[in-house]
Amino acid sequence: MSSESSLFSHRWLPALLLAPMILLILLFFYVPVFQAFYWSFFLEQPFGGGSEFVGFENFQRVLGDPEFWAATGRTVVFMLTASSLAVVVPLMLAIAADRKIGMSYPARNILVWPKGIAGASIGVVFAFIFNPFVGLMAPLNALFPGLWNPGIDGTDAFTTLVAAHVWSGIPFNFVILLAGLRSIPPTMYQAAAMDGAGPWRRIFDVQLPLIMPQLFLTFVLEFTESITSVFALIDTITGGGPGGSTSLLVYKIYVDGFRGFDLSGASTQTAILMVFVLLLAACQFYFLGRRINYER
Amino acid sequence: MVENARSINIAASILLAIGILYIVGPLYLTLSTASQSYEYMLRNGLAWVPGTELFANMGKVIHDTRIPIQMLNSMIVAFSNALATCILSFLSAYAIVYFRIRWAGVAFALILATIMLPLDIRVITTYQVASNIFSPLNAVLDFTGLNSLIETMFGAPVQLELSVLDTHFGLIAPLVAHGTGTFLFRQFFLTLPKDLFKAARMDGAGPIRFLIDILLPLARTSFASLFVLTFLSGWTQYLWPLVGASTPDMQTAVVGLARLVPDADGQVPDFPMIMAGAVLVSLVPLTMIALLQRFLVQGLVLSEK
Repeated sequence: MSSESSLFSHRWLPALLLAPMILLILLFFYVPVFQAFYWSFFLEQPFGGGSEFVGFENFQRVLGDPEFWAATGRTVVFMLTASSLAVVVPLMLAIAADRKIGMSYPARNILVWPKGIAGASIGVVFAFIFNPFVGLMAPLNALFPGLWNPGIDGTDAFTTLVAAHVWSGIPFNFVILLAGLRSIPPTMYQAAAMDGAGPWRRIFDVQLPLIMPQLFLTFVLEFTESITSVFALIDTITGGGPGGSTSLLVYKIYVDGFRGFDLSGASTQTAILMVFVLLLAACQFYFLGRRINYER
Repeated sequence: MVENARSINIAASILLAIGILYIVGPLYLTLSTASQSYEYMLRNGLAWVPGTELFANMGKVIHDTRIPIQMLNSMIVAFSNALATCILSFLSAYAIVYFRIRWAGVAFALILATIMLPLDIRVITTYQVASNIFSPLNAVLDFTGLNSLIETMFGAPVQLELSVLDTHFGLIAPLVAHGTGTFLFRQFFLTLPKDLFKAARMDGAGPIRFLIDILLPLARTSFASLFVLTFLSGWTQYLWPLVGASTPDMQTAVVGLARLVPDADGQVPDFPMIMAGAVLVSLVPLTMIALLQRFLVQGLVLSEK
């Protein structure tokens, strides 16, 4: 759009049009992001009691805290397990729903429903369904006492979180991957069939390679999503327990900041988490992004 | 193409059936338990068959809890979030695509970067900003030394204070500060033929007229998609409404629902009542999905491209 007549020229109108959005974003995005980094170098007193520059002391304190590393480790484990499941499960469903079979119409409709159910709502529901005394596992627990108790066993609690996360993540990833599959030209399948590739073979040789861009995108978004949106699930299903075994970083930041009033510690961890998320996205773009340029 | 694809079709059908069961199962158990009495639940655990107590349990939620007013809050937050996002995103994308401005790329990058760091990550400091939205201005005045100048001239430095916590505006504004909508409209504008613009110019249409008479009608589907998407996202928010509103009457329904579960262990909570609450809270967004699914799916796909 460089030719003379293809754009409006106006002195203040574009600035006026952009102003509301930019102002909101400056105030509620850039200032908070900046402040998290700024505060990580200060010792903040709660309730506005003044602040004192402490250099890297906050970072030393946070990085020397075994709880921080435990929460980081759990965040990474959750990110790897929950987000790979939250991509692979919708991927299999999308490949199935892409076929012209009777089930694919209801599936395309129903698999989008979780989009309307808040993470916290499904958290409340899963907390009930997986309740050891009245839930799904109660009859089994009666037969084998202690088989399932997310209130005591950290692994059980973690599993419940993963199941709830995958449940909530299905709509977006399913829709994106299905859209990718449907945009593959039919001639590709015909050519593969001519070469003797059966329907199973075509999944791996035609469909998967051609939806790499969508697959890549869902992974990028899902990694961030699994780190942040898990808060609602933790708060409603496990409360970080038992014994801190499901206290992921995003939850620990909330507890430190809003219950412990440790603003400096919470800000420092926020800053570290932000850098982590940005690095993660950058890495994915660098390592994965290079390999997925298939011409359609 | 004729070929034998029986085995894969059977496998696909089974897989989809399991997928549907996985999604619908928890929803069904929620509904069936919501329709049983507390005593039934104590005796039998979760309910596999629906009972007759659904409306009694819903009545309990409506009369004994703050869920009704919280649903009104959710409605206000979700609707305003959707409307404000649609309007502001449309205007900013319009400015970026159709005006000759040198800093268009910078403005777009500034807006788009918000997608990288979700609100849940920066909740601590967003809370601080919301507790006094003039704090950045005060800080700038302090930092540049303007405030000491003002102090010597007028006797006191500028220290403005306005908290948007516990207000609807405070619940909504941080949600609107997000780049997806601008991105979506920009992509849409770029797909429109340039001749459209040239023809409009030739007919003497100015920027405002072009916006209202040409772009607005063309963008109807994009508006609908973005509206559904942001409405659902506003309704299902949890962490921000949890900290942004401290009184039960300002909280949103999802937060209120989570608070129905008692913190202390011991007695088994009234799960049928809580499940009835979950049904009530999910009714509005699920109805929306049922009616406007086409736009939701389109919105999800568009926001990705």
